[in-house]
Amino acid sequence: MNEAVTNLWSVPLLIIIPILTAILVNLLYNKTKAIRAISVGASIAVLAIAVLSPYGFHWFAGHPAVNSDGTYTFTASVFSWKLSLEYYYGPLQQILIGLMSLLLLFTVLIATKSLSKNLGPYLAIIFLTYVSAAAVLMTNDFYHLWIAVELGSLLVAGLVASSGTAYAQKAALKYTFFSALAGSGLAISLGLILGLTGYVNITDAIHFLMSNDLGGMYAVLYVAFAFLTLAWVYAGGLVPVHPLKSDVYRSAFPHGTVLLQTQSKLMLVAIGIVMLRLFGSLPFATDVMLVISVLTMIFGVVMALIQTDLRWILAYLIVSHSGLVTVGLSLGTYRGIVGGIFQALNDVIYMSILLICCEMLLYFGKGSTSIKFGGGVAKKSPWLAAFAVLGAMAASGIPPFNGFQSELILLQAALEQGLPEVAAVILMVSVSTFVALFRAIYSIFLKPEPEKTSESYVGRFKMPDVVFISLVVLLSISLILGVYPQLAFSFINESALKVVLVPWVP
Amino acid sequence: MIEISLQLLGFIAATVLVVVGIAGMLYLDNLIKKLIAFTLLSDGVNLALVSLGYVQGGIVPILEPDASIFEFPNEAALIFGPGIVLTNIVIGVSTTAILAALIVVLYRRYGSLKASKVLKGDRE
Repeated sequence: MNEAVTNLWSVPLLIIIPILTAILVNLLYNKTKAIRAISVGASIAVLAIAVLSPYGFHWFAGHPAVNSDGTYTFTASVFSWKLSLEYYYGPLQQILIGLMSLLLLFTVLIATKSLSKNLGPYLAIIFLTYVSAAAVLMTNDFYHLWIAVELGSLLVAGLVASSGTAYAQKAALKYTFFSALAGSGLAISLGLILGLTGYVNITDAIHFLMSNDLGGMYAVLYVAFAFLTLAWVYAGGLVPVHPLKSDVYRSAFPHGTVLLQTQSKLMLVAIGIVMLRLFGSLPFATDVMLVISVLTMIFGVVMALIQTDLRWILAYLIVSHSGLVTVGLSLGTYRGIVGGIFQALNDVIYMSILLICCEMLLYFGKGSTSIKFGGGVAKKSPWLAAFAVLGAMAASGIPPFNGFQSELILLQAALEQGLPEVAAVILMVSVSTFVALFRAIYSIFLKPEPEKTSESYVGRFKMPDVVFISLVVLLSISLILGVYPQLAFSFINESALKVVLVPWVP
Repeated sequence: MIEISLQLLGFIAATVLVVVGIAGMLYLDNLIKKLIAFTLLSDGVNLALVSLGYVQGGIVPILEPDASIFEFPNEAALIFGPGIVLTNIVIGVSTTAILAALIVVLYRRYGSLKASKVLKGDRE
């Protein structure tokens, strides 16, 4: 597919179709069959668009920031500001949005199978969550970035609260209160960059910063960086927001958490890339990002090790592995960025496998995910046990699964930068993930079931076809990317090179 | 001179509102008071953004047919400030609505608006 500066109409469809679907299913409320048909159809449609859409721009106002001949729109013309609100759809957006669309389809299929009450509003929130992450990935202007992050944070609260438990509602309230702080910070950051450069378009703003001496105004740029970092930390659940985010991951339905963690990881990548493009040349900027990332890895995995419930373990591991994603980006090198993005891709896949296994235990097995609850699930559902064990192997970075490849690249990137201590933390996260996950998996799946106990999973698990197919597809992707990682690199390499060499190009 | 002071005053008032809002959200125990503190914070951010777009002796950023396109960019106020504020107001209202809904649900469950009681962490 050729990249072209044309006003592509397939790109906004990735936003418009889910929004229309959300409105429609919300109106249908409890009409399960109609909601199922519409939402599955819409999920397949956005997946098809993500796969088939050509690469290029869609601009909502003004003109594209990059011209078709490779030049940039910024010139010292009489109009010192330009209204260039645009989306860019390239190989990176294609693979990330494509994967998210696939997970949206699985989430919708599982939700319509396991839930019957208030299905319409619940699926509306699911679709809008997808919209927020897709918009953040595609946008090349601060205005859309800000709106999508704000929208995403409100939807996270909605998705969590909809699980209906007191703990979930409290988690949603705390998260929304903090979103008020982070959202305001992002608005101020946007205002400061706008005030400094006069541009709302990221390409134009970077070009302005590179070709003008800010003099004493550099301090303002640092303040803008600080506020954007706050939004990045908040959107991705990095330290010090990790307790709020792990509460959120734990409190939502596991299939909802599949989409929540996908949204968080993809936002981390998208905002992280914007930060590198805009502030990468500032002294200390990448150092600050690196410190936050390393602390997130350590805090997340240590908290995971002391949990006694598989859902809590996964909640903290998702946070910890977010640190793995951002540590790659924070290194700021080509290899580091490739490793970070590839880690995000892999992380989303294997965590989804484990979360769907949790869904099976809780809602189809009528049991618990606590390691103190019964055992012997492997005997009742060997397939489920196999999926859980293989998913945990992928998460622990064991070959031939995908986690191994991305963690290897991150290790190489850290060592290349002369940071063996960061490499050691990455290794520690990998080993601790293995310990935390297999301790729970042994207790729930492999340990013999105690005799004559009331706390046991009911009868034999009947795994619904949609769950089985979802797990097979995700595990296959995990295995394929583990054996042939170059399949993903062909989508990621170009974006990583652009960030390092020509940061103004989206 | 007066115009410069007006912009400065705008920033000072915005800073006061933001600081009071953040302090209220962090330290007040009543959930409704926290919600009110959030609206103060949001108003402070809006005021800061409006002040940012201020141009001394500037004109409304609408290009009239008889206006000079050479002078207009230098004279017009930055249009994005009010644009962002408009969006921020919508976002603020949405956030307030969600917060209020969650507070009502938790009040029905616990019969209290005290954050120290309602938000006490009890894992399931």
